[in-house]
Amino acid sequence: MNRKIKNLFSVVISALMVIVLLAACGGNAGNGGKADNQPKTGNTGSPQNEGNVDLSEKVELVWYLLGEPHKDTEAVVAEFNKMLAEELNTTVKLNFTSWADWETKYNLLLSAGERIDMIFASTWANYYKYAAQGAFLPLDDLLPVYAPETWKNVSEQDWKEAKVNGKIYAVPSTYPEYTPDGIVYREDWRKELGLPEIKDLDSIEAYLDGVKREKGVTPINGKAYNEIYTMFRAYYDFQHIGGDSGVVVATSYDTPRDIVAYPFTDEFEEWVKKMRTWAEKGYWNSDTLSSQSEAGDAIKVGTGAVYWRNAPGAGGFIMGQKTDNPDIELAYFPFSRFHNYVMPTLSVQNAMAIPKSAKYPERSLMVLDKLRNDPKYYDLMTYGFEGVHYDISEDGRTIVTPPASRADDPDYANYDIASWGWRVESMQRVKPAGGWPEFDNLLAEFRETSRPNIFAGVMMDYEPVRAEQAAVNAVMQQYGLPLMMGLISDVEKGLETYRKQLEAAGVHKLVDYVKEKANAHFDAIGVK
Amino acid sequence: MERASVVFNTIGYILITFLAVLCLLPFLLILTGSFTAESEIIRDGFKIIPNEWSLEAYKAIFRSPEQIVKAYQVTIGLTLTGVVLGLFLTSMAGYVLSRKDFKYRNAISFFIYFTMLFSGGLIPWYILMVKYLGLKDSFLALLLPPLLSAFNVILMKNFMKSIPDSITESAKIDGAGDFAIYWKLILPLSTPGLATIGLFLALGYWNDWFLANLYINTQDKYPLQFLLYRTLASAAVLNTSAAANLSPDFRPPSETLKMAAAIIVTGPIVFLYPFVQRYFVKGLTLGAVKG
Repeated sequence: MNRKIKNLFSVVISALMVIVLLAACGGNAGNGGKADNQPKTGNTGSPQNEGNVDLSEKVELVWYLLGEPHKDTEAVVAEFNKMLAEELNTTVKLNFTSWADWETKYNLLLSAGERIDMIFASTWANYYKYAAQGAFLPLDDLLPVYAPETWKNVSEQDWKEAKVNGKIYAVPSTYPEYTPDGIVYREDWRKELGLPEIKDLDSIEAYLDGVKREKGVTPINGKAYNEIYTMFRAYYDFQHIGGDSGVVVATSYDTPRDIVAYPFTDEFEEWVKKMRTWAEKGYWNSDTLSSQSEAGDAIKVGTGAVYWRNAPGAGGFIMGQKTDNPDIELAYFPFSRFHNYVMPTLSVQNAMAIPKSAKYPERSLMVLDKLRNDPKYYDLMTYGFEGVHYDISEDGRTIVTPPASRADDPDYANYDIASWGWRVESMQRVKPAGGWPEFDNLLAEFRETSRPNIFAGVMMDYEPVRAEQAAVNAVMQQYGLPLMMGLISDVEKGLETYRKQLEAAGVHKLVDYVKEKANAHFDAIGVK
Repeated sequence: MERASVVFNTIGYILITFLAVLCLLPFLLILTGSFTAESEIIRDGFKIIPNEWSLEAYKAIFRSPEQIVKAYQVTIGLTLTGVVLGLFLTSMAGYVLSRKDFKYRNAISFFIYFTMLFSGGLIPWYILMVKYLGLKDSFLALLLPPLLSAFNVILMKNFMKSIPDSITESAKIDGAGDFAIYWKLILPLSTPGLATIGLFLALGYWNDWFLANLYINTQDKYPLQFLLYRTLASAAVLNTSAAANLSPDFRPPSETLKMAAAIIVTGPIVFLYPFVQRYFVKGLTLGAVKG
């Protein structure tokens, strides 16, 4: 009898445990389901006439941005929702991916079919690939109806760049950017040592040499690969195709269809021989490839002189030093001056797209239209609250940070979220590149020498040649990087091995594949 | 003492001391690194005893202490419930599978084994969690996945197998039910196994950031590891093409900040080990079966 009761007891206990667990899951699933179902019933019933949009139903949108929220984002979004609820009967739940492992997360968000009404999209977040795979909703029919202002204001060229297989899959930001690579360097040392002004490769060499000999400082003190590699590509006008295409490049802007693997060119041979002499003279450390320190950090403490940055990034770095280390004078040399032209980034460098899983694409577009064109919304979401995060400056146009009321507040942090996706140049209230005065001149120079970007739009999906691409990249890491940094004493022999290994890895197949894709793109956009 | 054993002890102590120092040094370097001035690290690299002490890194981390406190609460809460629940479920599963009179134990063991070798992969898992279980942005998304791991169940099962059958048998003769046997006899005899798996679970919950990264959107629900990992991840982005878009205000965390973060995260879990350790040393079923 006693045993039976105990037996029963144990059965009941375990049953209870299971029930509790299941209830926990089930309860939640129920909630999720309810939230999903509720709006759905309304949606099917609402008529959608052109120009006369039905707003009778209250809708909460789910948006995703890349990056991190600001401390006050919650309050800002609450205010944003208050305004939206009044005008569009809509609210937005704004989520962030955070930078931790964002590529995996972005992929999951798009492939798992989770309900998302709008998401940040970009060429560097594989916009073309996801669009081609059908992750986004085509917007051609929706835009004129639900985002009329945006449809009108965005230029034909920008829409064209957002097209994949003839359809628009994202609303590009209206913010032409030039991001040529270049180097930030210690201008005060150049003047002090009487070195020539930096305007070509020889003057760069003279500068590095002067700093090394007279100052006893390793000029690029840290990771130096970016500095040297981007200089190499810019110097010979080698162009990457469709994003980072590794060793495969077009030999120049004027010969886009002449696509090769650069390690097989004479230019590369000439370059690595030069780099060998640079490395021997100690322009960078012999551990540069394994080093984890940024060359820019060395500049801050006076143990370095040169740092790779793109133009807006250089502005940020230089302005940062102006406040932290005012006695250091820095200048910038964009590599675009080697050939005197720049290419703007594509419009879809930053954009907002609507995933296939969206429930309310129409509302999302309406909100985006407001956000992009109404200063009330734009300022709030981009710069935060006036008086708390910024003041309007005297000209009534630009903003000042921090606001006067919080000038001494150590907790103050610029309101800054991933607002790039809806950026509109005419709406911007801050100067680009951190307010670096020199940037205006640079921008004028870039605009004058700008040439259309014909390379970035090539849609590269490496799936068919993935094995070759992986092998070639591995060979580049193992043999190419040390060669580029002049770390191999016998250059000729090193080069021979590198080329042989590349061939064995299947580099020719990779080149052929890129050629095929690039030619198809050039045919489509009418480039010879 | 005999000469030989004196020699043995001396060599033993020297060797162990040497190894202990080797193990402690990196940790000491992290500790002092977190108290070093940033400029000194950039200039001279890490030193065991820095010239210039500084509290800057800790000041930076504790600038918004509410968040750290909240993250600690989340992590500690998760770890405690996870370990208790996890141990209970794992040991029950292990016990059932270890009983020889359970007919389908091999079939079920294989079923569990199988998931160790083959799994659906990330995307189906994500879809299951988000779409069918509705666990997006829920604490359960952090709690459930590591709760019952196949590896732990197998480990527990094999451990319990080593407990002689005669113990179960004797209890049965005395009139104990199955749950009573499990609760009163098997569990106390399994403390070393429980301690091992408890430690695994605790470390797993404590160190997990990936689940939070996938499923949690609300900042208040972030566990500690993820909160700190985010700042480091932001630094990594600076070196990619995405960097062009980041505002000039965006600064990478300094070296000292990384060290301070490591100290804050590892500190408490280091203290856990000595408490659990004594269970490992205890003998198994020492003297339980006589004759």
